[in-house]
Amino acid sequence: MTTILAGAIMIGLGALAAGIGDSILFARYMEGIARQPEARGTLFGQTMILFGLIEALPIISIAFGILVLFGIV
Amino acid sequence: MDLTPKVKFMGLTFDLTVIIGSLVTAVIVYILVTLLARRLSIRPTGRQNMLEYIIDFISGITGIMMEKKESLKYISFAMTTFLFIMIANLLGVIVIVTTEVTGPIPSLGLTASALEAANHSVSWFKSPTSDLNVTFAMAGAVMLYSHFAGAVKHPLAYAKDYFKPYWWMLPFNIIDELAKPVTHAARLWANIFAGEVLILILREGTLYLTAAPLLVWMGFSIFVGCIQAYIFTVLAMVYIGQKVSAD
Repeated sequence: MTTILAGAIMIGLGALAAGIGDSILFARYMEGIARQPEARGTLFGQTMILFGLIEALPIISIAFGILVLFGIV
Repeated sequence: MDLTPKVKFMGLTFDLTVIIGSLVTAVIVYILVTLLARRLSIRPTGRQNMLEYIIDFISGITGIMMEKKESLKYISFAMTTFLFIMIANLLGVIVIVTTEVTGPIPSLGLTASALEAANHSVSWFKSPTSDLNVTFAMAGAVMLYSHFAGAVKHPLAYAKDYFKPYWWMLPFNIIDELAKPVTHAARLWANIFAGEVLILILREGTLYLTAAPLLVWMGFSIFVGCIQAYIFTVLAMVYIGQKVSAD
């Protein structure tokens, strides 16, 4: 019971944090291309790098959550 | 979690799926690059254009932290890292090799009780980057090389780096250096591992319910695999560049 709860909390909080972080990043990206539409190409590349960097932390939490759920760790 | 064959050698346990996966990936990368680099000419056409595009892309990555002349040294390293990780990530998405093993094979660690628990299905192939040991070995090698190169090139500036901006920041700087390889490795491993586990879970489900999510998730996994290979290479070059570049 406790391991299921622990895994669920890890996965859920990871998803919550990823939602907040990604929404801030993409809101700024939208503001950027609204202000300077010609910068769309470079901004997209930079945004995707930052997206990968942000997405890593919640997904580390999710991976450890899966390990806890399956009882490996 | 599928059962995987393991070999014991000199007190260490080796996962055969990782060894098979790395070998297959290395062979595929070798064949791919050899095919692209055949019959080179001054005026590039077709395949050669493709290869030159990849090298151009990689030289953009190595040029982030270093000057042009310095960065030329690292192009081959960055290209090997990038291609190996990308092909490994993509193979893990599309290839699953599972066989039914009825009799126990003790030399591969497949005992009767373990087979019974895993319902006799044994997995023989997985993406090598979905194993924590592989990514930690790669990130550790990058860390060792960056410190070594920095200490050899300008020892005084390297030592001074630990006392910046104030001398009492030393413990924080040491923690920073130790955290770098851990996050570097865990970032790649967790992305690929979570993706593969979710594919395994969706594969077990009812066909009509999980077929569409499985297709969507596999597409996303291909995207994530390419992005993570790029990020791993960028971070490796940034970590090396921080130590090597003179300032």
